[in-house]
Amino acid sequence: MMDPAEVEFIAEKQMVEIVPNFNFDRVYLISGEIGPFRAGLPVKVPIWMAINLRQRQKCRILVPDWMDVEKLEQAKEDESASRYFTKMPSEHYMAEAQLILSACGEDVPRADEIRTALKDLWDMRMSKLRSSVDTFIKTGGTHARLDHLTLMEMNSVRPLLPHALDQLHRLSTVRFVFSPLVNSSSCFDMHISILYYCFWC
Amino acid sequence: MFGDKAFELIKELERCPDSLPAFNDEGVRQVLEEMRVLFEQNQKDVNVSVSGDANYFAGVQLRHTSLERNKRCLLAYLYNRLQYIRQMRWEFGSILPPEIKFNLCEPEVKWFGNYSKYLANYMKTIGDGYGLDLTQDTKPPKSLYIEVRCLVDYGKLELEDGEIVLLKKNSQHLLPRSECEPLIRQGILQHIVH
Amino acid sequence: MDVDLELEDSDNEETITAQSVLAKLEEAWMNEKFSPEILPHRTEIVDCMLEQIHQMEENLNKLKKSDFRVVIHRMELDRIRYIITSYLRSRLEKIELYTSHILEMESKRPVEERYLSPAEYKFAQEHQSHLENHFETVVLRHMPYNIRTLDKATMSVAPNLFSQVFLRANKTVNGVIVETGVEGAEEEVELDGNSQHIIQYKAIAELVKSGSVQLI
Repeated sequence: MMDPAEVEFIAEKQMVEIVPNFNFDRVYLISGEIGPFRAGLPVKVPIWMAINLRQRQKCRILVPDWMDVEKLEQAKEDESASRYFTKMPSEHYMAEAQLILSACGEDVPRADEIRTALKDLWDMRMSKLRSSVDTFIKTGGTHARLDHLTLMEMNSVRPLLPHALDQLHRLSTVRFVFSPLVNSSSCFDMHISILYYCFWC
Repeated sequence: MFGDKAFELIKELERCPDSLPAFNDEGVRQVLEEMRVLFEQNQKDVNVSVSGDANYFAGVQLRHTSLERNKRCLLAYLYNRLQYIRQMRWEFGSILPPEIKFNLCEPEVKWFGNYSKYLANYMKTIGDGYGLDLTQDTKPPKSLYIEVRCLVDYGKLELEDGEIVLLKKNSQHLLPRSECEPLIRQGILQHIVH
Repeated sequence: MDVDLELEDSDNEETITAQSVLAKLEEAWMNEKFSPEILPHRTEIVDCMLEQIHQMEENLNKLKKSDFRVVIHRMELDRIRYIITSYLRSRLEKIELYTSHILEMESKRPVEERYLSPAEYKFAQEHQSHLENHFETVVLRHMPYNIRTLDKATMSVAPNLFSQVFLRANKTVNGVIVETGVEGAEEEVELDGNSQHIIQYKAIAELVKSGSVQLI
């Protein structure tokens, strides 16, 4: 239903701080005002813009506070202590981190440790998600609250979970409908009743 | 078995989901012929039944379900082919590639022409008459710049913004996608994917 | 009364910025993407956003190609154009898939409350008639007369309103009724503001249309 590229596209709207190496006035984008840009002074821009400016060597990207090994280790502990999904520092933590690390991984201290911590966090949340999906389906649930689950996480179960639930719903509502057998002496009635049979190709 | 020929048509499409086999004129004709025979037999039996003999009901019913199934298969065959042909409009525009057109029957070619036309008419009305081509922008836009490696000694390339880049064999550059795409197609540049 | 209206209007003008229209477009896009059925059209948003794009393109043509802003603005325009085309494409896909079902639903609605825009409606009608015409020409007219017609009731495809969707509540909604599948049995669900859920589409279809919840 949703392409991973689309999840990334949505995450690219998130704001991130950059330090430009040039001066420029405010830029009036349709999505809002950006800037002004002062060489050496941090300014907030959407990730898609930060990556472009970085590619053109016009800025340095400041890694978001939460992309820090200690903070991520803490998040892992909180996640394992809680029955529910904990709130992530960013709604798109995984996509955002992937975007930033691939754009300027070499500028980020301890980038590999950050990657590992993120991967652990993701795995913990995914296994939590899988087991709750499992319980949910086994108990015949019709609805579940999923606070703090991020878009990318939803997307990873999207093809499966809603589909499985649809099938369950279908099974629970199946009625065996028998069309009246032909018993009339009129061939017209017979044709009509025959017409109501259902076929599956 | 009744319906086998019709089902064969469906299987034919199923066998090659990524291409469109030639329209099976003969197969369709055979199914229609089977339907004619089934119908005629039913008419005969129904006439006998009306005069009081109920022994024919089961036969009539069986043939009628076969007729229905044949109809369903034929329509599914046509519909699924149209789905494929429709996709061609989105991928290749209003001119069908000859190797695909070759496999269509004449009404399908006509259908494609019509679809192409009313789709274009719809797209023209979007945005208060400005028009918008929905067959474009089908992927989320990525960075306008891509990393490329030069495969030959090409020489100087002047970019749209006036900047001049020297493209030497094995040199690597970060260039606006729109400007290096033609060169990638010509085999001068190679897109570096990490 | 007149004064009130004027005040309201000027208020509206202040709040309707290109930025807020873009946000509305993004909401409509996500809703359409995840909703099994086609939603009421939002032509006004699409038209307004395309108008913004054209204005911006004109302005960009006045800038020097080397201007720092050109690339940034073009990237943004590409992003918005993607959202618009993707939004309209998902509508068109549903229109093509559920043509006769959608046209039948539309025939029950007053013209001004139709879910399809006039242009989409015309497209749906033409699509329907060319499909039928094709079936007719190639096979139906060669069939025995008693099964020659296209039986729309059994042949047409309708969206599965019981399919499960993810949503975020934009505000608190109490007493959402979910059918459990067991005959007659229902379950009541509370949606707290900003909470996220997975739930059957049918139970919240009206809330999507009224903007109380956002599909995600």
